Amino acid sequence: MKRKIIRVGSSRGVLIPREVTRAMHWDFGTEVELVMNQERKEVTLKTIKISLPEEYNVEYLRQIEELMIEHEDVLGGIDD
Amino acid sequence: MTDDQKIQIKQLCYVNWLITKKFGGDAGVRDLKSLKNVVSLPGGGSLTCFQGERLSNRKDLYSQLGWFTYYIVDGEPFNGKNRTVALMMLIWALKFYRLEFEAENMADFVNTLDTLKQGNSDISLWLSNNCR
Repeated sequence: MKRKIIRVGSSRGVLIPREVTRAMHWDFGTEVELVMNQERKEVTLKTIKISLPEEYNVEYLRQIEELMIEHEDVLGGIDD
Repeated sequence: MTDDQKIQIKQLCYVNWLITKKFGGDAGVRDLKSLKNVVSLPGGGSLTCFQGERLSNRKDLYSQLGWFTYYIVDGEPFNGKNRTVALMMLIWALKFYRLEFEAENMADFVNTLDTLKQGNSDISLWLSNNCR
């Protein structure tokens, strides 16, 4: 898709269409990686991938997430 | 600190982040010393009940969970949602050990737990009376 370079204060910017930000799950404040390839005259925006450290037991963490959703009512009622 | 204790601290931090993301509140560690107390059992041991099938009897399980719950509620190691993190981990551990319990009763117990009047052994006793 084509986008125009616009003025943002004294800088230049490109607006990202809503369908793109939705599809990429980019919200205000999300950090993205900008990669420039000068030879090919290309600039790419990438989602920053975060991986858990190896020592984390991913299976347990998934179980915790599932149980959190299953017991949402009681967990949400705790007065911290 | 042992490697097991460090892993558990990281896992608890993840759960704190997850809970605050879902229910609101401030994520992050308020007091690292309190957080170390949560995962440290007397004698330099760690909460093996959070590391899989290592406990051979329920008494040890309830004892470790009592210790964990007391220190997380009393010490408030996180900026927010300490009791919710305690309840979340109790639910996970009891499910992991295939024990039955009423989540609402447990939520009431955690919500009203007064660490000035109830110690870790009282929590262990409550668990042994309310889980099967």
